[in-house]
Amino acid sequence: MNDAIRMQLSAYVDGELPENEAELLLRRITQDAELRQEFAEYLALGRLLRGEPGVAAADRLHERVIAGLDDTQEESAVATKTPGAATAIKPLAGIAVAASVALVAIFVLQQGNLAPQEGPAQVAETEEAPVVPDLDAVAQQRAYFLNHAEASSRFGANGINSRLVTLRFSEEVAAESDSDTSVDEQDEELEEQSTQP
Amino acid sequence: MSMRPYSVLSGLIAACGLLFSVNASAANEQPFDWLARMGAAVQSTSYEGTVIRIQGGEAEALKVVHTVKDGVVWEKVVAQEGNGLEIIRVGNEVHCILPDRKSVLVEEWDDQSTLFSTLPSSDIRFGNEYDVAIVREDRVAGRETLLLAIRPHDGYRYGHRLWLDTETGFPLQTQLIDEAGSAIEQVKFADIRLNHDIAPSALAPSYSTEHFTWLRQSGGHATSAIETNWSSDELPAGFEAVSTHEESMQGGEQMVTHILFSDGLANVSVFVAPAHAKNVEGAARVGGSNSYTTRQGNHDVTAIGGVPAITVRQIATSMQLR
Repeated sequence: MNDAIRMQLSAYVDGELPENEAELLLRRITQDAELRQEFAEYLALGRLLRGEPGVAAADRLHERVIAGLDDTQEESAVATKTPGAATAIKPLAGIAVAASVALVAIFVLQQGNLAPQEGPAQVAETEEAPVVPDLDAVAQQRAYFLNHAEASSRFGANGINSRLVTLRFSEEVAAESDSDTSVDEQDEELEEQSTQP
Repeated sequence: MSMRPYSVLSGLIAACGLLFSVNASAANEQPFDWLARMGAAVQSTSYEGTVIRIQGGEAEALKVVHTVKDGVVWEKVVAQEGNGLEIIRVGNEVHCILPDRKSVLVEEWDDQSTLFSTLPSSDIRFGNEYDVAIVREDRVAGRETLLLAIRPHDGYRYGHRLWLDTETGFPLQTQLIDEAGSAIEQVKFADIRLNHDIAPSALAPSYSTEHFTWLRQSGGHATSAIETNWSSDELPAGFEAVSTHEESMQGGEQMVTHILFSDGLANVSVFVAPAHAKNVEGAARVGGSNSYTTRQGNHDVTAIGGVPAITVRQIATSMQLR
């Protein structure tokens, strides 16, 4: 990757890349795994520098721009409850659509992120000693999430999302079934597979 | 899956042609009109494109193809990194292809969990808990869009921002906005082609699965509707119980009471279970959802949902056995 791309990434993360260049950069990111990795690292770095754990730097910066526009733009047609309000329920199922196509990523990105945040049973989090979640509690939380997602889908909230989450968990269960083998053994298996014709 | 090259010329022509109609329609249509258009678009639009998802400082790209033929949903989603996971859906049957494990997980989706047919059963209380407004025009994935904001009236629920394609109403970008006004989740098409013919090959698996292990998922978990004596007098405004069940947990025999609360847009589940051997009180985060567990006598009460941490905490701690 050349310096020009790095500068573009940095500018994008800082919210300073012109819109037309940002579109091109995003398109390039989708086609270049190395660039995606670099992008993720820039985001993480920006987050650390700003002391904003848990919030995407790009999101915040994008939001900052949007928020400024929000304040100055007319809040045209702010809706209050009208006879037509109920009809707006149906469209909102569409929120699930754009989310659904990307939901596959959720548990890729977040598996292992189920870390306690606070509470009497939790250990204080420090930079040197990351919190290790109670495995039973993690399993229970996942079970609760599954049931919640399924129940929510019955009421129209992200139906496909919950189903994809189920699949992600299924994948995870499949992975856990292999956990009897050591990491080294798994690596050896993968090497053998990769050398097979 | 191969992508057809993006036509710059046709995009420019389309964009120029849209300039007048965008301004005219945006000025004349109300937010609810646009939400209605979105609802129609997501049910009928075929699309093929690349989605970037940004959450928690991580970004991932996904290729997606979606179409509906004779009322049957065809969809393919391919993760662009990691293990190359593919999810292919044809109607109610879903294949989750794990190429690194040479496995295919098969799951049946019932009619209620189809992509667009499951709709909220209660009103979204615009004017009470939420407002919806047209914010401005914008561009996403090279297309003209209109930004709609769904804003909660208090800090007990998240807001949404939707960038709707002005030609079709299709959502090209969505953000989930937290109580501080920051986007905690963003999904954005980097490129997209709408309403063009989807070749059958674009929906086919990228791998030969002939010698893969095929695993069929078991048919869900036991659940039955019940009456419960658990309730709360201090729910955040707008939330009300919409279902109560006794059900088993995935992967376990334990039966718990499950009450689902909703404000019409945001849902929160409360699970009441026999007290855990260990004290599991406290807050946690699962994906984009928050949860909070508190002990009430011999029971652990957990509230979980896609809402701010304060919401699940208030709901969990206010639950009482009458």
